[in-house]
Amino acid sequence: MAEKADILETLTTKEYSEGFTTDIEQEFFPKGLNDDIVRALSAKKGEPEWMLEFRLDALHRWQKMKMPEWGHLEIPPIDFQDIIYFAAPKPPKKREEVDPELLRTFDKLGIPLEERDALSGVAVDAVFDSVSVKTTFRKTLQEKGIIFCPFSEAVRDYPDLVRKYLARVVPPSDNFFAALNSAVFSDGSFCYIPKGVRCPMELSSYFRINARGIGQFERTLIVADEGSYVSYLEGCTAPMRDENQLHAAIVEIIVEKDAEVKYSTVQNWYPGDSQGRGGIFNFVTKRGLCRGERSRLFWTQVETGSAITWKYPSTILRGDGSHSEFYSVALTNNYQQADTGTKMVHIGKNTTSRIVSKGISAGQSQNSYRGLVKVASGASGVRNHSQCDSLLIGDMCGAHTFPVIECANSGAILEHEATTSKISDEQLFYLRQRGISEEDAVALIVGGYASDVLQRLPMEFAIEARRLLSVSLEGSVG
Amino acid sequence: MANREVILLRGDELRTLEITVGAGQARELVFVALPGESGVIDCSVSVSFSGEGGDCVLSGLYLAGGSSRVNFTVNVEHGVPRCSSSQLFKGIVAGRARTGFFGLIRVPEHCIGTEAYQQNHNLLLGDDCHAQSLPQLEIYADDVRCSHGATFGRLGDEELFYMRSRGIPEFEARRLQMTAFASEVLEGLPEDIVCQALEALESLL
Repeated sequence: MAEKADILETLTTKEYSEGFTTDIEQEFFPKGLNDDIVRALSAKKGEPEWMLEFRLDALHRWQKMKMPEWGHLEIPPIDFQDIIYFAAPKPPKKREEVDPELLRTFDKLGIPLEERDALSGVAVDAVFDSVSVKTTFRKTLQEKGIIFCPFSEAVRDYPDLVRKYLARVVPPSDNFFAALNSAVFSDGSFCYIPKGVRCPMELSSYFRINARGIGQFERTLIVADEGSYVSYLEGCTAPMRDENQLHAAIVEIIVEKDAEVKYSTVQNWYPGDSQGRGGIFNFVTKRGLCRGERSRLFWTQVETGSAITWKYPSTILRGDGSHSEFYSVALTNNYQQADTGTKMVHIGKNTTSRIVSKGISAGQSQNSYRGLVKVASGASGVRNHSQCDSLLIGDMCGAHTFPVIECANSGAILEHEATTSKISDEQLFYLRQRGISEEDAVALIVGGYASDVLQRLPMEFAIEARRLLSVSLEGSVG
Repeated sequence: MANREVILLRGDELRTLEITVGAGQARELVFVALPGESGVIDCSVSVSFSGEGGDCVLSGLYLAGGSSRVNFTVNVEHGVPRCSSSQLFKGIVAGRARTGFFGLIRVPEHCIGTEAYQQNHNLLLGDDCHAQSLPQLEIYADDVRCSHGATFGRLGDEELFYMRSRGIPEFEARRLQMTAFASEVLEGLPEDIVCQALEALESLL
């Protein structure tokens, strides 16, 4: 037991290396949320009338909604009037320039905002609090007809496209947080891949919360037109603070006929300290629509951060023969809580899906998988396989599985399996007697346990994800 | 197998059962739900343990056709360390029937050494029926073995072809397949219950 206490000690001193704050001049809106704030936000962004109406409509819907309580989570009351809904670094004098302090921040996070040859494989849209700071490689992408830009620019420059696709997958009335986001979303990325184009590089969004007391509400819209392909990455971090901060995002993906989208997330928001103080509340709605025939959508996520995660990347398989996969590793430690999973709604014929979810809980954390597999009555030839495993490290944590499977078609074959286990003493003993330290042994076992998911990640992310897993687990075994 | 209880549910029935398994005790319950053409069966079972070493085996078969409704709710609370439980529920759904299975295994803190398994398998025979399954695990202790599985499927075409190519008529082949599916639960039950179940099974075809 003494050993355990030591290890807990190391855990408390564990560093969240992204937890620094950037000291930069910023402008803020006053706290609170009402019609005026939404109007001011819309005006700030120079949005057209229809966008403002969309926001106000969402706000009025949100005001009538209640915070969802069905999650296996203990959410402290959130005062939505005590949040700053817009914060942005003061604009530089020259429009095309980025504040060197911001460049340093992103450089420190490993997100280069300068287009370097060595990292030419990834185009980045960097979002700092409520605004997009810079989007790289836009010229290179434009040559292929690919639109990749901050959301607010897209509203201005491509209003027809945005209007055509916005809120088609996640309507403002979808849920409490979707309505909130629709009312106050500040920035995010817009991405359109034209017909038959294979995106030559990975596109990515990086979200950074910096200012105290703000909420981040970004919106990402990805449209893959017929026969196109894109791989999209998303990363995020925040400073260490004792109070909680809210992050409520929406990601909408539309996949047309024969197109393919890969969406990968490495979520590393500040998880709070070892006593459960602080951390980000991450309430995210992510949904994709496989609209055309044979369209494909792949979700991969590695969730290690956030005090509370409430996130269900889902796919609506509407086109005949469309296919979707969901791979997830969710790791919780200390007092973190995660309620995450996926929904696969099979509407088209011969649609197939696969779910692989790996939960790892340590410390006093609670980790839940919640999923839905639904087969509509007209959807014949549906095939789904779901596997969700939980790994418990320590006897104070919890691992839960809440799947819902609904089937209304006799042609469907659905399988679901779930197991719960711990790292066995034999496995540890085997590695220890070969001279591998306990921590390395645990990292090795967890890495192996999660490898099904990690190997789906693009290379740059996979390395990062492995590092995060082992750091997040540091000292959690006694 | 001295403690095996067979519970036959026919037509319209609303049943609530609370089972407490004592230390070192073994209980086995088998449910057979035959709602007929338009029956509504709602059965909820809660299992708890009062001492270490308890073992509870639950199995069930539901055969729903016509416009019938069958709902099973199974709550297993592993409130004592080193107990084991298993659930095996199988359903055949046809016509415009609707079935639901809700199963929860809950292992509170410090209830180590728990072994709990849960399975729900569904066979759908038509496109107007609807089946739902919610196999849930809530686990707060680390040294446990818990798993669940749920499947939805139809009668296999290849098996059907195999039998038909050997001269077995289609009706008979389907009946055989369904009997095989149900036999895991029916095996060893009293003859009159097996006969009633097989009769109900045939009426689904």
